[in-house]
Formats: sequence, structure tokens, C-alpha cells
Amino acid sequence: MAKKMGRRARKFAKKNLQSVMKRKRKLNALFQKKFAPRQEKSDSPEESKNLKNDMQTPVDPEQEILDGIVSTNPFGDLFIKEDDDSGADVSDSDGYLSEDPECPYISEDEEESCPEEMCKDVVLLEQNTEINQRLKNQKRKLSKLCKKDPQFSKFLESRRSEFLKSKSEEIYSDDEGDTSSMDDEYIVGNEISQVSKVITSSTVDVWCWLVMEQPNWPGLANLLNAFRAACHYGLDTGEVSPVKIANREVFCKILTFVLSEAKGIFCGLLRISGFSNKETILKMKNKPEWKTTRSLIKSFLRSSLFLLNQETDNQILVFVLSQIRLSILLFSAFPSLTKKLIKISIHLWVTGDKDLSASSFLILRDIASEFSLDNIDTCLTKGFGAFIANSKFMKPQNIEHIEFLENSVVELYSLDIQKSYQKVLMSVQQLASILRLALKTKEKDELKKIHSWQYINCISLWVKFVSCNYKNHDLQQLLFLIIGVIKGIAHLFPGPRYLPLRFKCVKMLNQLSFSSGVFIPVESLLFDCLEIRGTNNAEGTKLKHLDLALLLKVPNQLLKSQDFQQASVLSAIKLLAEHLSQWCYHVSFPDLATIPLILLKRFHENTSIESVRRPVKRFIDQVQQNSDFIQRKRDQVSFSPKDKESVDSFLQLEKCDRSAAFTKFYDNMLQNALA
Amino acid sequence: MGKKRKVILPPDLPPEVADNDIEVSDEDLEFIGQNREYAGFLTKLDTKSIDRHVKRVAGHESDDLEALYEQRKRKASLLKQNDDDDKLQVDPVDALPVKTLDGKLEYRTVDRTKSEAITNEKDNTEENEKDMSVVKLTKKEKRLKIKKSRKEAKKEAKVEEKGNVGVEKLHTEVLAKVEEDLSAEELFRKKKIKLAEIGLQLLENPEENIKSLKELLKNCDDGNQNIVKLGLMSLLAVFKDIIPGYRIRLPTEKEMEMTVSKAVLKQRFYESTLLNSYKAYLAKLIAMEKKPSLRQVAVRCLASLLDAVPHFNYRENILAIVIKNISSPDDTIRKLCCNATKSIFLNEGKHGGEATFEAVRLIAQQVKIYECQLHPDSIEVLSSLTFDEDIGKPDTQAEAVKIKKKGKWKTPDGSNKLQGSEKKKTRQESLAKTREEVTADFKSVSFAPDSRERKRMQSETLSAVFEIYFRILKHSTDSHASRSTTDAASFSHGSSSLPLLAPCLKGLGKFSHLIDLDFMGDLMRCLKQLAGYSDHGTIQNPLSVSERLQCCIVAFRVMRNNLEALNIDLQDFFVQLYNLLLEYRPDRDQGEVLAEALKIMLCEGKQHDMQRAAAFIKRLATFSLSYGSAEAMAALVTLKHLLQKNSKCRNLLENDAGGGSLSGLVSKYQPDATDPNLSGALGSVLWELSLLTKHYNSSISSMAASIMSMGSVNPAQSQVFLSTASPLQAFRDSSILCELSKPTSKSATSRQKQRELQKDYVLMDPEVMQNGNLVDEDEVRRKLEDRFAVHKVITENERLRKELNHTLSSISLYEEYNRQKKQKRKRTTKRVLGD
Repeated sequence: MAKKMGRRARKFAKKNLQSVMKRKRKLNALFQKKFAPRQEKSDSPEESKNLKNDMQTPVDPEQEILDGIVSTNPFGDLFIKEDDDSGADVSDSDGYLSEDPECPYISEDEEESCPEEMCKDVVLLEQNTEINQRLKNQKRKLSKLCKKDPQFSKFLESRRSEFLKSKSEEIYSDDEGDTSSMDDEYIVGNEISQVSKVITSSTVDVWCWLVMEQPNWPGLANLLNAFRAACHYGLDTGEVSPVKIANREVFCKILTFVLSEAKGIFCGLLRISGFSNKETILKMKNKPEWKTTRSLIKSFLRSSLFLLNQETDNQILVFVLSQIRLSILLFSAFPSLTKKLIKISIHLWVTGDKDLSASSFLILRDIASEFSLDNIDTCLTKGFGAFIANSKFMKPQNIEHIEFLENSVVELYSLDIQKSYQKVLMSVQQLASILRLALKTKEKDELKKIHSWQYINCISLWVKFVSCNYKNHDLQQLLFLIIGVIKGIAHLFPGPRYLPLRFKCVKMLNQLSFSSGVFIPVESLLFDCLEIRGTNNAEGTKLKHLDLALLLKVPNQLLKSQDFQQASVLSAIKLLAEHLSQWCYHVSFPDLATIPLILLKRFHENTSIESVRRPVKRFIDQVQQNSDFIQRKRDQVSFSPKDKESVDSFLQLEKCDRSAAFTKFYDNMLQNALA
Repeated sequence: MGKKRKVILPPDLPPEVADNDIEVSDEDLEFIGQNREYAGFLTKLDTKSIDRHVKRVAGHESDDLEALYEQRKRKASLLKQNDDDDKLQVDPVDALPVKTLDGKLEYRTVDRTKSEAITNEKDNTEENEKDMSVVKLTKKEKRLKIKKSRKEAKKEAKVEEKGNVGVEKLHTEVLAKVEEDLSAEELFRKKKIKLAEIGLQLLENPEENIKSLKELLKNCDDGNQNIVKLGLMSLLAVFKDIIPGYRIRLPTEKEMEMTVSKAVLKQRFYESTLLNSYKAYLAKLIAMEKKPSLRQVAVRCLASLLDAVPHFNYRENILAIVIKNISSPDDTIRKLCCNATKSIFLNEGKHGGEATFEAVRLIAQQVKIYECQLHPDSIEVLSSLTFDEDIGKPDTQAEAVKIKKKGKWKTPDGSNKLQGSEKKKTRQESLAKTREEVTADFKSVSFAPDSRERKRMQSETLSAVFEIYFRILKHSTDSHASRSTTDAASFSHGSSSLPLLAPCLKGLGKFSHLIDLDFMGDLMRCLKQLAGYSDHGTIQNPLSVSERLQCCIVAFRVMRNNLEALNIDLQDFFVQLYNLLLEYRPDRDQGEVLAEALKIMLCEGKQHDMQRAAAFIKRLATFSLSYGSAEAMAALVTLKHLLQKNSKCRNLLENDAGGGSLSGLVSKYQPDATDPNLSGALGSVLWELSLLTKHYNSSISSMAASIMSMGSVNPAQSQVFLSTASPLQAFRDSSILCELSKPTSKSATSRQKQRELQKDYVLMDPEVMQNGNLVDEDEVRRKLEDRFAVHKVITENERLRKELNHTLSSISLYEEYNRQKKQKRKRTTKRVLGD
């Protein structure tokens, strides 16, 4: 049914309303995006397979969207899917609730005072008046004709009925399943349309007041019907609702009131204090009140989901989401709705702006933490899938968003390590096997797979996961595997062209080393960039700002430019400082710093890039200073390297104070980078 | 079998014709009918062999027609293309009997195609073969057949004519073109067949048909390159087959004058013809080698000749060309030449070693002419040379030196060098003398003159090889010197400017045990210079780190093989290794070379000076802190070796106050010293190991732990765990690929620390998250109202439009209504009128 409506609306819009069409297109695109990742969902083995597929065939996103448009009607698909998977919920339809006939209706003559003023779409309004004008003219003409020839009106009448017949047949042939209901509805609609009640603002006020006053007030159904009508407003013009919303205030009032008060209302109905956890919902299911309220709750949830699907404004979405979140546990009683909610939230989380993304993430997190295991699974796999699908490109605009997505996935996966560990391990093994193949064959396609943002973002996601959870869980196997993969990546792409990628690897290794406390040598990975020698021509391509974070491979024309050399040397120093700062209180710091110092000093002597001289010199001094400091300290001790405990306790006090000069230097460096 | 074919053939034709072209099918059928007539006529004449001929004709004709159709289809296509197509098409045709002068030829074509692996025709050909052998026996039959085939030729011409006429009728405008194509195709095919015929004749009976070689040669002057190529290749096949296993010596004039038997004359004639044609053939090849389009074929022929008949006359000429192309920029040519040269080196039995020497000499010339700017492959081939083990032994060595450089061996004799082993030497010499006598006796008795000769050959070859190597080294050092003075800025990897150095070093490493002591000093000086480390960094040295490490390795190899003989100070090489450890970059340089250098220079060989050992121990420990697992592992294995060998160095493991007393000149450790002896490493402590125990790689951390524990075990015991692994092995074992392939199945061991869900945020700031959720409700309200308004307008718009359309259609219906009304009225008036 909804499918029907949607199609009709679109047809109309396509014909007549360019601006609306544009909006719809946007909406469509959103849906396509949502549907693209959905294909790589479900159980874990499949997921890994899909991940692999995803890796192997970097699908052109546009193509994907196009395909989506061609193959699926997004709305229809969505709704059909729902009906399919809701085994238990099939019985109750997504219709209106049976109403309380004694509900008060206060009729007022306030129907749409002057909507024109409020509406900003001037074009549409103009069009409307114009059409109106023409309509009047034509009507006048018609009536004239009818007057002139009374037989014509008879002819017209017969023609019309014929036309209707053929039209219904057309529909019949169009989609067979729906016809009977369509026909019925057509007739019913015609009948009811006269009966449908107009809800005025005073009616709403009274209703709201009544609902708040008496928890068991039977008119709640009417209010929820009104809510449903409001949610569906404007999108299903063909459907005839038993209620008619008088004006925008009513519309607004119904939506906000129901959304914000739903939790309280339903709590009152079920006679519970609130939805604190799963158990209350389970208990609640056994209560006698549940039977009566079930359909009400369901209607409310359905309508809200519909609103989420239809709405495109971020702020409204955020509002709806935050209100739904208050009563999110209600969803746990309706698995199919939960699935829908997950689907929508993931979509909004991936595509929305900052606030929207955050609030959808909160929904997801709540579902993952509070709901049954199945839902956690779906949340994890779908969340990961959506992240992977969306991390194909890195641009300055979306770098923050991707980081947020990454963090959210880590959060989701950190909720239940027992469960997610297997998934993560499988994913990392997948990455490792891709890498192994590439190392063996060295084929271009294989290398391309690794040398992609998708791969790198995936690795960096798991690095984050490991470093967040290493302290509390035994993730050693995973840690070693990831280190192996990262080292393999660095090994696979030597040469200055791939320095940005290498910096990323080193950064991840530092991160892992820092969180796990194991020693990972990274220095040799950075020495390369001390030996790049450019052509030294200053007039070469001058870039305002060369951001290595956004690159995996340096474009050829930049390779010899001074900007690139400067940027790479500075990044290398930063990473080196990161590495050294981790061990700056360790007894072997002077030895660790020996080779970097020798090489840096030589670089400092030989380099032709004046701009890096100073930072390099400063760095050398700081390292040297710390080295001397440790040297002095360790000359005073009497234990040997094999005395593990003494080694571990060496300079622990200073470490806790973070008193060494090098620490301060490093902190400074970080702050400068931020500023 | 003839009958069988006859039965098979006719039904084959019609469907094909129908498929291709209906227009011609009438004629085709006509032809077949005619053929049948002919066939019938022929069978009357001769029953046995004519069956086959008839069949042959039929088959041939059908092919002609097929070709015709094919041609017609591709009227527009180029002649050349047609040729190519034809080539493809003709091959299967050859499988069938073809119109020929006599039966023999026909059989050969078939045979040839058979070798082209057309298997479904095999049965037929075999049968044919049998038949042929029968036919060949009697001369009478031969004659008969010739007659018949002549007749057939006539008949075929007729048929062709008719076919053309038929075509003319239908496609007059394309006729000329088709004919042209046909003739070209025909010509090509005829030539090809002829080539095959002659070739097979030659193979079958070289003595009789030796003259045909000239005919074949003539074919190679054809205008068509394809024919030329085919001709060259068939000649190659023929020569490979008929060239005798000896070298032909043409009779001298004196000999010519002598009267000899008929057989000898014949043999002489045969040999001289063969030799002359071979000469002409080679001349042709050599000439063609200069033409770019034919170069590849020519080189291929030359290379395979060299491979197949290196003993035969004119080998020198072939060798010259092959070696000339050994560093050709064309990959296939180069590969062909290299492989041919390698086969010369490997199969010395074929030519007795002379060719080897010649080849090496030629390569040496090339190297000299091109000033070492050749493809590395050209030097690489030398490593497939093999020398007898005893070539380096005194007797032969003495001999070699006697031949090459007289006197040189005698003058700087054992007195200054071989003090230690003089006794041994003299005994050896006496032994050698007796052996020489014995061999001389043996030689005089036995027929084989070779073992001496062979040794001479080998030693000459060897000296030529070393000449090449030394030339390359010399060149490298020269250019190295010039480069370091002129342009230091243009840094490039050595491999590009000195392409031959790497294979040269490899070869030197391989033959290091054969190097003449005389060269030793020079060689060492060269290597030292090449490996040379200058204080000003890497820029001045054009050689890559791997190459320099290779230099060190070669130097040590050479030294180790001649340790008794020489006492050159290797300290410089140690200094270089000590510093090269810092220059090494994991993915740029070859880790295996480094590991090998560590193995040869530090693990093997004699005891080290304590200072030096300590310096290396310290440096290796520091090295493993900065480098990847594989390198670190190799370094640690070496370090362990050193600690095991130098028990005193185990003091480095302990933090004693007395550690400094051991350190000689330098009391304090200088990490950036360039000379290991001056680093004062004895005064240091191996603190690195404590950090290495935290290494992520478990094998490294356990290795570090085991090294640390060495200090406490008393020296006598520690000998027990002398690890067997070499640095090279360790390097390979912990390479990244191996590291990745480690099984990680033990995934279930996740610590069951927290069964419950973790409710805290691990990454994000919860407060920020919550705050981000606040929405301005008024704003939302406003937006909701907007939304309502927009939707309202849209709904309104839609409704209005619907209504408008409705009325419009109603109005348009009015016209229709009027029309109908008029018709009605007409009808009624008509009816009225009709009434």
C-alpha cells in the first residue's frame, strides 16, 4: 500500500514539481546508500566473505546507487521486507487503531488560516494560484458546455465511469496482489472521506490534557491515530485517514507531544516506573495491561519509524531519535521493529551530520548493550559493514566523520569483548590473508587492495579496538597478528612515494606499543625519509598546505618538491618523538636513541632544506639531553640488565611525575600540533 | 581406405556450402558431380592407388572452394591478412593429400602436418604412409603415378577455370581481386609445400639429395618475409639433423689430385656441398641479423645451432654473433643468446671446452669494448661455468701460470709467503712431479690426449673470466673515484651506473677458491676501495649498501679459501661492516646479504680481537633495537655466537663497576665512533637486552632473555648451547611472510575477566555525547511547521492538478461527443434519405 502511495506521489512530483523532485532525489540517494551496505549484512561467516568481496571489488559507489535506483523501489522494498520478517507481528496490521467514538471533537472554524504566508516555497504557491485560476476558467467552460448541451453531461458521466473501470483494470494488471484492497479502498475512501474528522488545535489540547490526566483514557487511540496521520502527512495523499489535521500548529503539537510524552504515557498504562532494563520489559509482557497497550505501543513505534524514514531534516531527526531513545526498551518487545530501527539508525549514523550521527550512534549503542544477543550481532556486523562501505575515500571534509564512525564502531565492539573478539579476529585474519597473497604474488591488483583507504581504515579501526581494550582483556594473539599485518604493509610499499602510508603504519604501531607496553621497533621505518633528496628547485609546485594524513601515496609531481620533503621529515620526527617518549624513562633509552641520533646528526649536517634544520636540531638536543640524563642515572645503579624487577622499577618515580625534560618536550610538540 | 574416404567426402560438402553461400552451392554441386565423374573414370583406369588420388583431388578442390568463399567474405581485407588466414587454413589442408608431382611428396606434407599435431588426421596419414611405402617400392608405379598426377594437374586446372568462370558469372566485379588473392595464396602455399618437400627429402636421404640444400637456400631470398622465415627455420631443422658429429675438413689440393674410390668421391662431394651450403646459410643469417625485422629469427637460428652443433665448422662466427647479442636490449634475443652461451658452458662434452674459452674470450672483449656498460645478464652467464676441482691444485696451477705468465710464479716463490707451509708445499711439488711423469707415460700409451689439454683449456678460461671480473672491478673503482670527486649531488644507486658489478661480485664469490694468489693483493685493494666507507656519509659512494656488503663477503670468502697463503689485514672490512650496519635500510637493501655478511665475517673464521668483538656485540644489540624482526633476529644470533666465542665479552652482560678496567684505550663507550676498536664498547653494558625482552616478537624476546642468562652460566657449560642456527637462517625464519603465516588459532584463550557487558565508554567522552544530543525544541517546532506547510501546499497542488486535468479531459471529450453526434445525425439522415 505504501508502495502504491509512494509511487503515485513520485509520479506526480516528477510531472509537476521540480523542487520536490529534487528533494525526493536526495531522499532516494539516502536510501540507496542505506541499502548498499545492507547487502553485506548477516551472519559472521557471510560477513567475512562479504568483506572480502568488498575488498576485492571496489564497487563504484555511483554505480551502486544507480543499480539501487534501477532495481529496487526503496520504500517498497523496505516495507515488503518488514512484512516478510515479522512473523509474530503479521496479525496486527499497520493500520489505524480502532477509535473511541466518544472522544471529544471540538470543531472550530480555524482551518488553515493562511498557510501561504508561512510557506517559503514561493514557486509552489504561485503555481498553485495559477493552476487554481486555470481550473476555474476551465470549469466555467465545462459548465457552459454542459448547459448548452444537456446530453453532453450524460455522455460525460458514462465516459467517466468507463474510464474508472479501465483504470481499475490497469491497476489490476499493474500489481496483482494489491488490487482487491485497492479497489476496496477506493470505494471506502470515497465514503469515508466525508466522514474523516478534522482535528483542531483545541481538540488536541483537550486530548493532551485528558491523556495526561487519566492514564487509561480510551481516547489515546485517537491521539495515536492522529500521530500516525501526522507522521504520514504529505506522503500518502492517496490514503484516506480517519483524521484530518487542521493546521500546522496541530501538526506540530501532535508530533512533539506524543514523542516527548510517550514514555510517560506508556509507563502509566503499564503501571511501571520506567524502563530501566530488560527485565522490566520481560515482566511487563506478562502483565494483563500488556494486551491492551500492545497495539497502542506498536502503533506509536511504527509511526515514529515511519517518520524517521521520511524525514530529511537533521534537527527533526535528532529530536525524534532522542525522544525514541527514552523509550527504546519498548522496541525489545517487537523484534521486527527493532531490526528496522537498527537499519534506520545505521543509515542515519553513517550519513547524517555530526549531531544526527551521534544520536543515532547512541540508539545503536543502547540496542547493542540492552537488547538480546541477536541484535548485538546485527548492530556489530551492520555497523562494521557501514563503516567499511563509507571509508573508501578520505577528504578533508569527512576525516572527522570517519574518525567518529571509527570511534563508534570501537565503542560498539567494546561492549561485549567476548562476542566481538571472534569477529575482530576473523576480520584481521581476513586482512592478513589478503596481505599474504599480495606479499607472495606482488600482483598489481592485490597491492591495490591493500593500498586503499578501506584496508587502512579497517586496520586502524582494529588497532584502536585493541589499544582500547588491551589493558582489560587478553588480546595478545590479536595484537601480534595486527602488528604483523602493519609491518607487512610497511614492507610491501617501500620507497618515498608511499611515505604517507608508512607514517600511518608507524603511528598505528606506536599506538599499539603504547597501549600494550610491548616494544615495537619502528625507527628503521622512518630512516628512509632522511635520505630523500629532491631536485631542490624552489620554483616547483608550491602547495599551501600538504596534508600527509589525507594521502596514501604521494603524487609524482610532489615527490621532489621541498614541501613534501619538509612535511615528511617533520612527520618522521614527530613519530620518532612519539616512539622515544614511550621509552624515555627506560634504562636502555640511550641505546635506543643511538642510531637515530647518529643518522639525524648526519642529516642535519647535510640537509639543504633550511626550514627543517631548526626542528631537527631541537629534537636532537632534546634526545641527547634525555639520553645523557638516563646515562647518568644508570651509571649510579648496580643492577644488571637481567635483573628484571630492578629494570622495571628504574625511574618509575620520574615516570609517574612526567618530570623529564623529554616528556615536556613531547607534550609541547603535541600541543603545537593541535594548535 | 580410399573407398572409405570417398564415402565420407561427398556428404561433407553440401552442408558447408549451404552454410556459406547459397548462390555458389549450385556450382559446387555441379563440381562435385563432375568430380564424381572423374573419380569414376579414374577408378576404371587404376584401382588401387587412384582411389586415393581421386580423393585427393576432391579434397583439394573442396579446399579451394572453401578458400574461395573465405576470400569472397573478406574481399576488403588486405592481401597480407589473407595470407595469414590462408596459412591457418592451409595447414589442415596439408593434412589431406594434395596435388603433387608424385606420391612421395604428398606423403611428406602429410607427415609434416602430423608433426603439427593434427591428431584427427593421424589415422589417415598413417594409412597413407603405409600406402606410400608400398608405392615407393616399384619404379613402374612411380612412373605411372607421375603420369596420372600430370593428368590430374590438367584436370584440376580445368576445374579451377570452371570455378572461376562460375564466379565470374556471379561476381564479375570482384573476380580480379579474388584471382589475385588466390594466386598469392597459391604461390605462398606452393612455396611452403616445396620447402617442406625438399626438407623432408633431405632428411630422408641426405646423401642423395644434398644438392637440394642450395634450392632451399635460394628460397631464403624470397621477397616474402614469411617464406624467408620458414626457409630459415627448415634449413635449421635440416642442418641440425644432418650435420655430422665431426668437423669437416675439406681435402687439400694434394689430396684432390690423388685418385680415390667412388665412395670417397661421393663422400667428398657430399661434405663439401654440405659445408658450402652451411657457410652460405650462416652468411645469410649473419646478414639478416643486421635487419631489425629478421633479427629475432636469425638469432634464434644461430643460438640453436650453437646449442646443437658447437663442434662443427664456423663455430667461431656463430659465437661471435651470439656473444655480440648477449646484452641486447631485446629481452627475447638476450635470453636466447644467454641460454645458448650457458649451454656451451654446461655441455663441454660437445666441443671439448674450446668453445667455452672462445665464448669467455669474446665476452671479455665485449666488456672491454663497451667499458662495462652491458646488461648484467651477460656476466651472469659466467656463473654457470664449471671448473674441475683440481684446477686450482699446484700442478695445473703451475702449468697455467707457466703458459699465461711465464716466470711470475717462480720469482715471488714460497720464501716470503709460505713460511708456514713450505714443507707441505715442497712435498706437494715432489708429488706433483711424480704424478706428472706418470701422466706423461700414461698419455703416451693411451689414446686420450685430453686431461692435460683440458686443464690447459680450463685454466685459460679461468684466467679470461678473472680478467673480466677484474676489469669490471677496476672500472668500478675508477668510476667510483671519479664520481666522488665530480658530482656528489646526483645520487644514484650504483646498480644503474655499474650494471655489471653485482653479477661480478657474485661470480667472484663463487670462484673465489680459484683465484690466483698473484691477483689477491690487487683484488683486495679493489674490494677495499669499493666497500670503502668515507666519513662524509653515503653520498659519495655510488655503490649500494648491498653491493658494499657483497664486497666484504667476497673479500672474506677469498681470504678464507686462501687463509694459509695470505695474511692480509681484514680490519678495514670490519670497520666497513661496523658502519654499514647503520646504513642498512630494511626494504631497500637485501637483508639476506646482510645476514650472510654477518655470518661470514663474524660467526665464522678465527677468533676476534676482544675490543672488536665487544664493539660488534654492542652495535648489534643497538642495531636490533631499531630494526625489524628479521634483521634483529639475525643480529642477535650473531651476537650470541660472538658472546659464546669470546667469553670475556660476557662482562657486557653485567653491570660491574670493574667493567671499565678491561677497556683499553677508550674508557667510555662512544656510540658514534666509526672504528670498532676505538669505540670503548668493553666498558658498556648491554642494556638493550632488557628492552628487547619486551619485544613483541616472542622469538626475539626469548632470544634476548637467553642471551642475558649467558652471563651467569659458567663459561665451560655455556658451550653446550651453541646454537646451530646461522644468521641467514634466522633472517629467513622471521621474515614478514613467515611472521604472518604463524597460526593464530588459539583465539579462544581470551581472558574471562569480565563476563558482563562493559557499560563505560572506552574512547568517547560520555558527556560530550550526551550534550550533543540536546536539540533546540523551538527550532524543531518551527521546522515541523514548515514541513507541514510544504506538504500542505504540495497536497493542494496535487489536488488542483488532478481536478484541472479532469476538467480539461472533459472539455476535450466534448469534441468527441460532437463528432459522435454528427455521425449519428448523418446516419439518421442517411437512413432517412435511404428510406
